[in-house]
Amino acid sequence: MPQLVPFYFVNEITFTFVIITLMVYILSKYILPRFVRLFLSRTFISKLSDISKK
Amino acid sequence: MAARNAALKVDWAKITTSLGLRGQTAASLQAFKKRNDDARRKLQQLSELPTTVDFAAYRSTLKNQAIVNEIEKRFTSFKPATYDVNRQLKAIEAFEVEAIKNAEATKTKVDLELKDLEKTLTNIETARPFDELTVDEVAAAEPSIDEKTSKLVSKGRWSVPGYKERFGDLSVL
Repeated sequence: MPQLVPFYFVNEITFTFVIITLMVYILSKYILPRFVRLFLSRTFISKLSDISKK
Repeated sequence: MAARNAALKVDWAKITTSLGLRGQTAASLQAFKKRNDDARRKLQQLSELPTTVDFAAYRSTLKNQAIVNEIEKRFTSFKPATYDVNRQLKAIEAFEVEAIKNAEATKTKVDLELKDLEKTLTNIETARPFDELTVDEVAAAEPSIDEKTSKLVSKGRWSVPGYKERFGDLSVL
């Protein structure tokens, strides 16, 4: 298995860091804020519908 | 006389309802109407009173003719006092100007309120059920959602307070 061959270790570590950094950036910048916005609107709407049911 | 005829034609109840007067304007109008009614009633009562005096009857019944003569003399020489009503007229005109100004202010206010209410009514009539709304539409209607989002994101918090309690959590951890 090439993953366990020490010759490739530097490459693997480098790409792991790159991928993790990229994921953290994309998630925190684009994906997770959308979810927060969705959750907030869902909470707001459910409060509104509670009021209209009363 | 013309002013009196015009005053008789005024439909007070209609003025208040058709112009939609409220507050100070309506109260002032009511007070003015009361003054008008009182004055008219008083005039009616006074005009019904007799204005002639039968001095011959008094002369035949009273022994003291001098008194009757004196009273008759005073009565014939009496002239009703004339008042200068210009000041009152001016006050009335000023009141009228003020009332018109108030009425116009009330009208613009009522018009604005009506427009707002119509907007709300169309909003209510064209409203869709909650489950057909998109997040963008909800956020456009309630700007505080975007504000809260950016606040939570800037703090690095990805969970909304109160969300789990309301909708539950599927997380196994």
